Amino acid sequence: MLPFLIIVGVIVIWFIIIYNGLISKRNEADKAFASIDTMAKKRYDLIPNLVATVQQYMQHERQTLTDITEMRAKATSGNLSDEEKIALDGKISKAVSGIMVAVENYPDLKASTNFMQLQGSLNEVEEQLSAARRFYNAAVTSYNNAIQMVPSNMVASMFNFQTKKLFEITEQERQNVDVKSLFKS
Amino acid sequence: MKSIQEFEQFFNTSLKTDLSNLDLRRKRIVKRFLIMLFLIFIPLVAVSLLLQFYMQINNIALIGCIVAVVVAILIYFLWVRDKLFYNDFKSQVINRIVYFISPELQYNAKDSVNVSEFVTSRLFMHSVDRFKGDDLVFGKIEKTAFRFSEIKAEYKTTTVDSKGNRKTQWHTLFKGLFFIADFNKEFTGSTVVLPNELGKGLTFLKKLMSIDRREKLVQLEDVNFTKEFNVYGDDQIQSRYILSTSLMERILQYRIKSKNHIYLSFVDSKMYLGIAYSKDLFEPSYLKSMVNFDLVKTYFEDMILAVSIVEDLNLNLRIWTKE
Repeated sequence: MLPFLIIVGVIVIWFIIIYNGLISKRNEADKAFASIDTMAKKRYDLIPNLVATVQQYMQHERQTLTDITEMRAKATSGNLSDEEKIALDGKISKAVSGIMVAVENYPDLKASTNFMQLQGSLNEVEEQLSAARRFYNAAVTSYNNAIQMVPSNMVASMFNFQTKKLFEITEQERQNVDVKSLFKS
Repeated sequence: MKSIQEFEQFFNTSLKTDLSNLDLRRKRIVKRFLIMLFLIFIPLVAVSLLLQFYMQINNIALIGCIVAVVVAILIYFLWVRDKLFYNDFKSQVINRIVYFISPELQYNAKDSVNVSEFVTSRLFMHSVDRFKGDDLVFGKIEKTAFRFSEIKAEYKTTTVDSKGNRKTQWHTLFKGLFFIADFNKEFTGSTVVLPNELGKGLTFLKKLMSIDRREKLVQLEDVNFTKEFNVYGDDQIQSRYILSTSLMERILQYRIKSKNHIYLSFVDSKMYLGIAYSKDLFEPSYLKSMVNFDLVKTYFEDMILAVSIVEDLNLNLRIWTKE
């Protein structure tokens, strides 16, 4: 009887350890996603400022500016799924960096202190966003590994743990630093 | 940054004359040392032997003590005289190499990075019981202020054997060049980058190694970087904010260039970098001629390796909110 009890005890303890490990990995990934959200919100706060600063100079990019304002409104409205957030985040990144490249054609704007400050803040937020995405990917990879690897996959399938999608690191993000160095003052 | 060819030219046109003068003094010092050795040490040994054989004084410990004291006096005497030579070497050779690298830099042969800075770097969690250093270089290159010096940090252990004898042993925590610079991004908290001696994997062991510190293992996505370094940070996102993909690349390149183990940490908007050396740096040679380009070249190379950190890690790039 006693050996049987010991074996059952060991299995229960092992089960609890694996289950808790999975939960903590999933929470870590969720936490990472929340921090991307926080950083993205910081960027949304900068966008009206950016639009206000550049619009008096930029005559040919009116449409881009209207688009970006609309996207921001949509992103901050709040009722979006995670997938939609990720997609919108990518679009906004692209639009912002498009504006930054267009600034090259407006030397007066580029030299204004107001813009330079804004550019510093935007670069900072972008860098922090990129760090948050990388952390999210690391956390999700570790979580997905646990779900798919023996023996934790048995526990995972019992409780229906789902794998999570990784953030795609875009081509533009890989070149982030190169693009930014164009604006090196 | 100055190239080795430029330095060779500087050596031939400017350093060589001073080096020749110093070398004459070096030869005199060595000669004086040999003469004194001959005049004091050899008669001393002779006297000891006489005492032992003819006067039947058979106390080796006593004789040993006399010999040791006399030798110590001799070395101290020479050392005091050599201080002058040593100081002139530092001001005429090392100081001028620093000035040659950049007139913006300043040099102080007797000063060093201090122990509190070393402790603040959080690179080594062990307490420091003995700390010394020299050859402080400080200044600013473009927007980045920095300082570095040679240091040696040690700790001691005391053991008591079965007979009750206490034995103190000194262990080196770090020896080499220690560099501190103002980092180009603003942050609080700490991220530590240590040489990885375990290779790939073994995550459990790597986590265990940080048990004495508040920083936790940070698993970065750059495979080459994680093969070379273990990263510990107190904030996972912050560590990635500091260690951008391009900075990781640059740190790897720098590691290859320096040929030695490097230790990096980022604490409260400052960067700390230690390059481990087993030899003493920027010291005169007593036994070989000093008018020797290969010797002087090593001073230049060790110095420029530290100064080039600012450029190699791109610390002057200030495109974020920190100016």
